[in-house]
Amino acid sequence: MIQMSNITKRFGEQTVLSGVTFKVQEKEIFGMLGPSGAGKTTIINILTNQLSADSGTHSIGVSPRETGLMLDEDGLFVRLSCLENLNIFADIYGISRRKSREALKSVGLELAAKKAVGQLSKAMRQRLALARAILNRPRVLFLDEPTGGLDPATARGIHKLILGLRERGSTIFLTTHNMDEAVRLCDRVVLLHMGVIVEQGAPAEICKRHEAVKTVPDLEEVFIKMTGVELE
Amino acid sequence: MRSVKAIFSKQLRDMFKNRTVLIQFVVFPLVAFAFTEIVAKPNGSIPDSMFVTMFASIYAGVTVLTTTAGTIAEDRERKSLRFLIMAGMKPYQYMLGVGGVMIAASLLVAVVFGATGGFHGVNFVRFVVVLVLGSVASSLLGATLGIVSKNQQAAAAMAMPLGMILGFTPLLAMFSQTVKKLFCIFYTMQVDMLVSDFSADFTTPATVIIVNIAVFAALFAFAYNKKGLS
Repeated sequence: MIQMSNITKRFGEQTVLSGVTFKVQEKEIFGMLGPSGAGKTTIINILTNQLSADSGTHSIGVSPRETGLMLDEDGLFVRLSCLENLNIFADIYGISRRKSREALKSVGLELAAKKAVGQLSKAMRQRLALARAILNRPRVLFLDEPTGGLDPATARGIHKLILGLRERGSTIFLTTHNMDEAVRLCDRVVLLHMGVIVEQGAPAEICKRHEAVKTVPDLEEVFIKMTGVELE
Repeated sequence: MRSVKAIFSKQLRDMFKNRTVLIQFVVFPLVAFAFTEIVAKPNGSIPDSMFVTMFASIYAGVTVLTTTAGTIAEDRERKSLRFLIMAGMKPYQYMLGVGGVMIAASLLVAVVFGATGGFHGVNFVRFVVVLVLGSVASSLLGATLGIVSKNQQAAAAMAMPLGMILGFTPLLAMFSQTVKKLFCIFYTMQVDMLVSDFSADFTTPATVIIVNIAVFAALFAFAYNKKGLS
């Protein structure tokens, strides 16, 4: 469905992507892993035509209106309420405003519908940005660090939502530098380092191939054990 | 059309929730009303409409210009425009939505000014039309500043002094023929001339305003081609 072939991108003298090639299958959760500055966001920007590549080809297989986008900068209208923010996009998509309420409910923000975005916490804003991204039931969803900087409870809620979207038929392309998140969510991942793909495949396959055994305790589980707080 | 409506609705709601902007739209008609009632009307030697025409020209020069520049710069800086465009909205639809609110607000303000000045019939219509034309020119100039500015602060830094020059020049021209001659090519001077004296020639000042609008539209198109909206 989504494909990139031999993409190269330079900013001035610096080469940020070099010969990037991958394919994403339909209804797959595809992860782009790498540290900050690896080129993950540049790939999303190229795929969504916000940036042009210097060479190579790419396609996402659907029209821009059938995509959803959640970036590191949420672009929300801060003086408007959550519902008003979503209604603007519902109007642009030409879908019922009822969908805005449904989207808010799906990210657990129905009680904050009339709250101004400027009064929301970072986690709530991130959930609202996700609600906007899924408002039009996109066939392809791009998520740039969807849980970056969020508490475990919110992150887990977003994971559940992402898995639900895949169940409903969306293809999800996400970037993260959180390896646990990638293992938990992604069907396949690519590892990106300084603009070059160093490995790709299913997370379990990659680990097996490199004989990587998880020895670090899962802090999220520790948190649940220690506090007894339900994280959903 | 639905995208324009969506942006119009967004901009209208945003304006009502943005006190800084709201004050700018309210302050000039309010001051004009106060001065007319407190100073002009009790004083027989001052025309009743003097403060209205004075503040209307300042409004046309300052408020619409700074608000349009600020709105576009803010939507660019916060990356909101990027999401709107990704959702399928065309840049011209965004401009029509934002500009539409500015013009609608200016229409309302012009009606308030006109009523305060006690204009009737043809004079009232002429006053409203001239003020709206001035607002169109300001809106285009503000949009250009909003596009070329890096952020909202930079837009304000450019729009405010420019707005002050354009808005207050008619006031200064009352005391200096040199200023009047020098700045007669600017729309705010012509707006002031047209609304101050309804018996004066309409064609030449109106042509100057239209030429201003055309020049600002060309400037906007040039800036847009160079920098784009997002």
